[in-house]
Amino acid sequence: MKLSIKALLFSFFVGLAAAFYLNAAETKTFQSVQITIHTIAAQKQGSEFDARLAPLEKQLKALNYRSYRLLKEETQTARWQGNANFEIPGGRVLTVRPQEVTNNQLGLRVQLKQGSKPQLETTVRMNNGGNFILGGPPHEGGVLVLSISANAR
Amino acid sequence: MNNCAAIRDMIGAWLDGELRGAAADAVRQHLESCSACAEEQRQLTKLDLAMKAVLGSEAARLEELPFWDDLRPRIEAKRPWYAGLIERAVPVFRMPSPAWAVPALILLLIGGLYFDVFSPDWNVGSPRNNFTTVESIDAYGRNVALLREHESKTTVIWLYQNPDNEDEGSGEVVDKGPAF
Repeated sequence: MKLSIKALLFSFFVGLAAAFYLNAAETKTFQSVQITIHTIAAQKQGSEFDARLAPLEKQLKALNYRSYRLLKEETQTARWQGNANFEIPGGRVLTVRPQEVTNNQLGLRVQLKQGSKPQLETTVRMNNGGNFILGGPPHEGGVLVLSISANAR
Repeated sequence: MNNCAAIRDMIGAWLDGELRGAAADAVRQHLESCSACAEEQRQLTKLDLAMKAVLGSEAARLEELPFWDDLRPRIEAKRPWYAGLIERAVPVFRMPSPAWAVPALILLLIGGLYFDVFSPDWNVGSPRNNFTTVESIDAYGRNVALLREHESKTTVIWLYQNPDNEDEGSGEVVDKGPAF
């Protein structure tokens, strides 16, 4: 292969610029985290699928339920180590606390309480802008399914 | 003889008006006194006139050629400031070398690997690799199941009722096992 000096020099500077750019991206500081909770009622009876849940359809189809209805969609912005509290039907409260971001992965502390009784506490690490599903709490003969998504900004 | 040789070397320049001062006077005085050099000067003058006549007629013929009408304004036109830049830049892009594959490959790799970093909102088709890692979990005595659903790249945390231990206080009918 015939290598030209110009191309090699250009490669060197592209590599150098990329290194600086990626370093800047890695150390990019996110001010806050936008957390969105979709609260969904799932039942084994019926065949209703709420059209507003279309973006989550593929994920919900993995669950063994036939009917899905969006009860509530709520978005809050939380600072690092700050709590975002979401009211969930059945006297429950979901608390999400963003912990840190590393390699575009968000660390979240998630706690579900019913009244004063904790039901679940978990620490997860997820892609920035991604989501996960928390389900199972009983609701009107079916269950609640929560889609928890977070986006650092 | 040596003086004549030196003068004859200078006759051409003298005829063209390129000599000044003492040099020009020396040639003129020598030509007045030396018939051989004067003859040389006459021959050169005749040759000069003949060449001017020939070139003059050729130039007239050149001006009649069809392409000259197009070419002349382009030669005489003032070049824009960026013409030089374009002339320098064009060869760089006109002659690709296999070595350019190296920076192209670097850019392609960086773009592919780090697209998510710079475009977190970008999402086409099925969700991106969305697996969430569960680092710790405490269900306070309840049963909990974890599912990693590969088709939609989703992590599911599922709370379900322990059959031997009703969820006191809720009074609701609950599943006795995970829903998947």
